[in-house]
Amino acid sequence: MITSILLLIIAPLLSIFFVYMAVTEKDLLKAAAYSAGQSIAYSILLQAMSTPDIVMTYIAVSVGLYSALLVFVISKTERFER
Amino acid sequence: MSRRIIILILLFTATLIASFTATIILNPATPSELKGLAKYYVLNTINETASPEAVTAIVWDYRGLDTIYETLVLYLAIVGGLAMFKMSEEALLKTRIGLTLLSKTSTKIVALLIASIAAAIVFHGHLSPGGGFPGGSAVAVASMIIIPVFAAGTLIEKGVSSTKLVAIRGAALTALGLVALLPVVKGLEIVTNQRFYPASILGLPISGSLSLYNLFESLAVASGFTAIALYLSIPEEAHKGGSGA
Repeated sequence: MITSILLLIIAPLLSIFFVYMAVTEKDLLKAAAYSAGQSIAYSILLQAMSTPDIVMTYIAVSVGLYSALLVFVISKTERFER
Repeated sequence: MSRRIIILILLFTATLIASFTATIILNPATPSELKGLAKYYVLNTINETASPEAVTAIVWDYRGLDTIYETLVLYLAIVGGLAMFKMSEEALLKTRIGLTLLSKTSTKIVALLIASIAAAIVFHGHLSPGGGFPGGSAVAVASMIIIPVFAAGTLIEKGVSSTKLVAIRGAALTALGLVALLPVVKGLEIVTNQRFYPASILGLPISGSLSLYNLFESLAVASGFTAIALYLSIPEEAHKGGSGA
């Protein structure tokens, strides 16, 4: 009980940190990694809310597919934002 | 850099203050018992669909038609995406050099691990959390790390072409449609589960049509995303060289 409440407090703060870093980062590959970190924070949050079905879909799509797609797309443009 | 830290601390404080204020003002009480609809699903899922997993039962049985239309929408989206890439396989064959031996070996191990977890998610989807879409996307993640490491050209030489992948996808979706349509032959309504399909085969609990839907959905999702990744992995230079020559 107390661990899930702690996770419910820590995971959103972690996601805010990752979102802020992703938005302000100039290196797009690093920004994609921060975005994956935000997804991991959300997965922790969903697991703390005990929704394992959503966690499985969310972690596969947002950490795996979405990050891979972003890396593929970045490889077609420039790595650094001007 | 220090500006970033100050803004982050401000954001954290604002979030904490806002959430504590909201908790104190709204004072949301934790529900102590299930409400009507939830109670119905929890009590009746195991008898009506032969599956202890209420989520899979709702997705593929109670709301089965919704999910089939959703699959159709994803199919059309991926077909549209593939139609935008007008690409010959010659351009793909130019990308034949992968990464180093070290990354190839470690990718083999990691991809095998991901694929086995995906198989567990798919084949156990009607009994425990999981199902067709999460399992299929996990397989797609495995193929998405294989494609850049081993290079698309090498995979095409070994017989993995996007045409074949789209064919697998089409076949899987046709099978999914047939599973949904077969009960109509006996005069039952479409997407019927327990009145047409058996709950178990040779002692294995398959929960009627739920495990079949999971299997075909995962095949369709995995092959669709792999086809997209195969096209996306072509570098821009190969693309321009291909069209110029």
